[in-house]
Amino acid sequence: MQKYSIFNLVKNAFSGHQNWDLAWKDPTPKKEYDVVIIGGGGHGLATAYYLAKEHGITNVAIIEKGWIGGGNVGRNTTIIRSNYMHDDNALFSEFGMDLWRKMSQDLNYNVMFSPRGIINLAHSDAQMNVYARRGNSMRLNGIDAVLLNREQVKENIPMADFSENVRFPIFGGLMQPSAGTARHDAVAWGYARQADSMGVDIIQNCEVTGFDVIGGKINGVRTSRGDIKVKKIGLCVAGSTNILAEKLNMTLPIETHLLQACVSEPVKPILDRVVTFGAGHFYISQSDKGEMVMGGDLDGYNSYAQRGNLPTLQHVLTEGIAMMPFLSKLKMLRTWGGIMDMSMDGSPIIDKTHIEGLYLNCGWCYGGFKATPASGWTFAHTIAQDRVHKLNAGYSLNRFSTGHLLDEKGLGTKTWIS
Amino acid sequence: MRSQNEFSYGGDATVKRPELDKEISDQDWDNFVYNRKSLRGKHWELWQHLSGCRQWIKVERDTATHEIFNTLKANEEIS
Amino acid sequence: MSQSFRLENIGLINRDKKLSFKFNGVTYYGYEGDTLASALIANGVHLVGRSFKYHRPRGFFGAGVDEPYAIVQLYRNGETEPNIKATEQELFEGLEATSVNCWPSVNFDIGAINNFIKIFLPAGFYYKTFMWPKSFWYKVYEPFIRKAAGLGIASTKHDKERYEHKYEYCDLLIAGSGPSGLASAYAAAKNGARVILAEDKPRHGGTLLTSEVNIGNQSGKEWADGIISELKEMPNVIVKNRSQVFGYYDHNMLVMSERISDHLPKTKKFHPKQRLWYIRAKEVLISSGSIERPIVFGNNDTPGVMLSSAAKEYLKVYGVLVGKSPLIFTNNDSGYETAIEFKKNGVDPIILDTRKEPQSEIVDEAKNLGINIKFSHVVVAAQGYKKVKSADIAKISDDKEQLGKVENIKCDCICVSGFWTPTIHLASQSGNKTKFNEDIDAFVPGISKQNETTLGAANGSYVLNETLKSSFEAGQELSKKITNNDNKISFPNVVEKKSTTHDKFWCVPLPEGKNYKRFLDFQNDVSVSDVEIALKEGYRSIEHVKRYTTLGMATDQGKTSNLNGLQLVSNIENKVVPNVGHTTFRPPYTPVSIGAIVGREVGKHSKPTRKSPMHSWHEKNNAVFVDAGVWLRPRYYKQGNENLFEGSKREAKNVRTNVGVCDVTTLGKIDIKGPDAAQLLNRVYTNAWLKLPVGKARYGVMLREDGIVMDDGTTTRISENHYHMTTTTAQAANVLSHLEYYLQLVWPELNVNVVSTTEQWAGAAIAGPKSRDLLQKLFPNSDVSNEGLPFMGFIEGDLFGVKARIFRISFSGELAYEVNVESDNGNFMWEKIMEVGYEFDIQPYGTEALSTLRIEMGHVAGSELDGRTIPYDNSLEGLLSKKKDFIGKRSLSREAFTAEDRQKVVGVVPLDKKTSIPEGSHLVKDSNAQLPNPKLGYISASCWSVEHDNPFSLAILKDGKNMIGKKLFVMAPLKNKVIPVEIVSSHYVDPKGERVRS
Repeated sequence: MQKYSIFNLVKNAFSGHQNWDLAWKDPTPKKEYDVVIIGGGGHGLATAYYLAKEHGITNVAIIEKGWIGGGNVGRNTTIIRSNYMHDDNALFSEFGMDLWRKMSQDLNYNVMFSPRGIINLAHSDAQMNVYARRGNSMRLNGIDAVLLNREQVKENIPMADFSENVRFPIFGGLMQPSAGTARHDAVAWGYARQADSMGVDIIQNCEVTGFDVIGGKINGVRTSRGDIKVKKIGLCVAGSTNILAEKLNMTLPIETHLLQACVSEPVKPILDRVVTFGAGHFYISQSDKGEMVMGGDLDGYNSYAQRGNLPTLQHVLTEGIAMMPFLSKLKMLRTWGGIMDMSMDGSPIIDKTHIEGLYLNCGWCYGGFKATPASGWTFAHTIAQDRVHKLNAGYSLNRFSTGHLLDEKGLGTKTWIS
Repeated sequence: MRSQNEFSYGGDATVKRPELDKEISDQDWDNFVYNRKSLRGKHWELWQHLSGCRQWIKVERDTATHEIFNTLKANEEIS
Repeated sequence: MSQSFRLENIGLINRDKKLSFKFNGVTYYGYEGDTLASALIANGVHLVGRSFKYHRPRGFFGAGVDEPYAIVQLYRNGETEPNIKATEQELFEGLEATSVNCWPSVNFDIGAINNFIKIFLPAGFYYKTFMWPKSFWYKVYEPFIRKAAGLGIASTKHDKERYEHKYEYCDLLIAGSGPSGLASAYAAAKNGARVILAEDKPRHGGTLLTSEVNIGNQSGKEWADGIISELKEMPNVIVKNRSQVFGYYDHNMLVMSERISDHLPKTKKFHPKQRLWYIRAKEVLISSGSIERPIVFGNNDTPGVMLSSAAKEYLKVYGVLVGKSPLIFTNNDSGYETAIEFKKNGVDPIILDTRKEPQSEIVDEAKNLGINIKFSHVVVAAQGYKKVKSADIAKISDDKEQLGKVENIKCDCICVSGFWTPTIHLASQSGNKTKFNEDIDAFVPGISKQNETTLGAANGSYVLNETLKSSFEAGQELSKKITNNDNKISFPNVVEKKSTTHDKFWCVPLPEGKNYKRFLDFQNDVSVSDVEIALKEGYRSIEHVKRYTTLGMATDQGKTSNLNGLQLVSNIENKVVPNVGHTTFRPPYTPVSIGAIVGREVGKHSKPTRKSPMHSWHEKNNAVFVDAGVWLRPRYYKQGNENLFEGSKREAKNVRTNVGVCDVTTLGKIDIKGPDAAQLLNRVYTNAWLKLPVGKARYGVMLREDGIVMDDGTTTRISENHYHMTTTTAQAANVLSHLEYYLQLVWPELNVNVVSTTEQWAGAAIAGPKSRDLLQKLFPNSDVSNEGLPFMGFIEGDLFGVKARIFRISFSGELAYEVNVESDNGNFMWEKIMEVGYEFDIQPYGTEALSTLRIEMGHVAGSELDGRTIPYDNSLEGLLSKKKDFIGKRSLSREAFTAEDRQKVVGVVPLDKKTSIPEGSHLVKDSNAQLPNPKLGYISASCWSVEHDNPFSLAILKDGKNMIGKKLFVMAPLKNKVIPVEIVSSHYVDPKGERVRS
């Protein structure tokens, strides 16, 4: 594979950039594969990459209904963090942070991982204590966390509302300095390019129409581009999980919901941290292009429409102005929606299933993007070894039956409440 | 016609709570508490007119287009 | 400076009102009715900014919302706003603006160095580099790139402007007041329909303002003016200018932003700056017109290259010449109209027409006027850096692939017309699957999903006669459906020149040996070669192309670039355009102020503030308040220089020794009535409720169906079929919904009604050993003895003439009562309690003392009932009835919930009896263990025990049952604290509960 380097960039410049290789090929599906990954999003592409890299399994196809990276990996607000309270979530995510830190070099593709730090604002002493519980837990798990007082928050984000005319004054915040953002599309493309170079077939515009299950075992998958024989299938289709589960006669602890996000027009750098509001649900960062990238609550009803309604955004932006009044004068440039797998405890599922050869990767709620590398890595392990890794042992499907729940927010099964 | 803001969502209307004091399997209980079909297309669901008359209603809505086909009062059965 | 490009006798501006303004520090003059763009062009200013990536000079490209170039920083009334389109900003006296994205100045911009190294910066270059050394991306490259990006500067000042919201219903919402909008609005209004006609621009009329047509023996503009003034007089019509319908949402909900004050030097008193309209329309008519699209050629981003329709608009609306030796480059008849206008105003244009032998009335007119027309000619490249100085032109072969000899001709602007792209954004947002129309090389709306009809140019129809006809009919038909009226409008006679077909040509090939940049997206600097690279590298889906190259992602959202981008992709991929498909159109159509979207809910009003009826008393008595959800509650009542710790300790101590009073109005209160009320409670709470006598209260815990504790509180049986339930402050709303859910949907057979009475009652908790003495004096006619009003008893009493409810319940572990009166009497009650309580050394206490008292008693509250714990965890398993079923019971048998070493609430005391334990700390066995250090539990609540005068905490601890007496470490790494502690019972005060019963 052609290596991306300054040298190559200069060399290609002088030949009018006519000699760049394809980042990935566009093969027609073969009749049989060792593993088929359904879903060409970040998690699916990462899974294929780690199957090839860590386990030497390269006779792999990724089947994507549309174009790769078109789902949530290309629709999120690009936040990367491991500031979790529950050990299972924290250790899994922190493993992912390590993969993020070396991802650009590992993939030879600049994913622009930018550890600019995330601050969760607190607006009362009680909230400071809730954050302390999480922050102390992070520190005991070896994850960086700092409790900021009001003055320290002000040093970091002076444009937040420190005035008298504020409904919920800022008391302080919990900061994870090593958290940050990355260029979301680049993550998908970087994994795709490397997976492709190791022999993985990336098959776009190929929709799964059914499964071939014989005697409780996976035997193949039916697609709009023909049937494929395969013994192991990894389902990586957060946002469409329930649709494919139905084709397998499975009912999962997941509801499908719509989450909107929006960006402002680009302005010169003003905010160099990721910040979340504590008296509601709002998060913001400024992209390298200068756009304020913002999001918040779900629209709050089951939906597969990648479009939402304005009252939800109004609500989200109200909290935005409550936190950072200067947003009022910026203009909302673009809004969009993504479809979430909302699991019933807010944490994901990476597990085997009752069908032999069928592996499940779903239920990512709002948190799928940051999990991309760790999810791919552990899912590849689970598929290759036919057993879960200790990092994803907590993400079992049967935890709902056993009661070993991972509820970070304590909201229970009403996933639409945020 | 009332604003969407006045309503709050209540989930799948076809999920039935098992009767009190009735023995049921773990699987059936999990199906009630956790497992949801949540499919694309027509979906019967519950909404409460929270900032209004506080009635729960059943709504048949398309989860792909958000089109509403049908509404029922709380005590009316989905046919 | 003089307005040397202003014409004398043409335009709709008000020449009687001269306005001064500043651009980049230089003072200029314009007229009322100008935009900043038209006024600058009148003054000969064409350099307004720099492009995003290469910092190439940028001028004006359009005359409206489609503008990709002319982005300025605006200063108005002491405030500044970034990214204002000069083509949209109306001129006002004293306006100031500066260029953006250039340093030190727009004339000399350091960033323009990117323009010279651009061969190293193709599409996606940053994905291929800046990776070495590893830490340099975040530390070196990224800050540099961030600084270079970003257009204007955001002000960090609070926005002093006001934004309003308005909700409106109508029969027909008509978006756009060009010919089709006017005709359909008129027909519908005459038919009795309630119509809203919205126009983005200050002037109504759309293309009628600039085209040479006649309608009903009037000029197009006169006709439009007549219709508008008639509509404005009609009571069933709302006519709005400066109002952009930017979003089409579900169920025919549309949102419009109205710019009320942006065109004024400052907002008038009591006026909003902007108003957001939520409009629910029975029918929507989209008459948003079309936007001219450019033809792509070399250096087509040079200032002075602009849309031919914009040149015409500057001329006819503003009386401004965009140049004095214009070159018109067109593939259709529209360019001729612009040329003719130039000619009529004394300027000689040259027309380059890509077509070989077009025959039409307009072409003939141009010929007759003696305009120099070169058929089968193209502009190969614009020449000039900060302004067009000349153009390289050439003849082009019939197959459009071969260029003839390139010659250079002088010109000072190039007006381009590559035909028209319908504005289908709203239709597409409504769910309409658009279709490609080969005749116009563009997408038009397909089958409607909602009640929406697209008319005129937005629907791909460019013949005025047809547009008016179909629009009158649509207005007529749709209104007839709604109003059942059938008033026919006589259709006016239309005179317009006939035009002939356009040439599908859209991109000029590069001449031999030249490597001109040919731009598709002007703001984001995306050129033909960038798209070629993306496709070569396999980024083939149109979404990949967009994301890899950033085509169409600038503040104009690709209004002039998307279709040419699609043409290019389809050419290279050998597909037809419809098979490539367009990227999704999403709201907003044009950027909308976040302030306008949010409206009035800002600052103190971002969320409601709830106050108890006694709030003003608390204020007068030095209460320090705390936010409890949206409630404000006294946290402590400050005496002298006391801090929170000292004050709350004093207050708590006084409860334990004398008597205290606490405002508990915020507790949720639900009135439950009906013959099956007890049955409901019995199902909702975990303990038994069927036998609670009248006049008695009981503590109860309710679960979610997943077995997790939802809330706790006391419920009192007021009379046979009447109960009074209390909930925590936080869960009040959820509990009410929860009850309603079960009553209406699960057990409709239960005859019970529930209603929130939180606001109806003011509550005061009176706690402490002297509380009975106080109560007796407050209610001299009631028997409040231990026999007359035992623990968990309830009576009604007379508080100096005010009816009161008295509950003997305790949250503090002391002998305690709660008195409720109707809210209006709350302050009276409170003052009486304080007055009568004086002799018992009464003190009010706030939430902090309340916490202290409950913590040392081992009462669980919100920090333990955090949505993750089951009854056992909170030592509430004694309240789980074995005899009956209740909500959530079935879940409690789950494996993790019944584990031997399940977590349980315990008490924690520091070994030194001195060190306070921070809340949110964790308990570990070994404070020096390697990370990750296994956590056994966490500190949920801490206080200074006033009973024992040492710190005391509650913790949820793994295997808590067997840990009493064990020594562990509390760790709070965030505060660098390690505290050796002993685990004790959670009941640190009066473990047998004697005081509450005394």
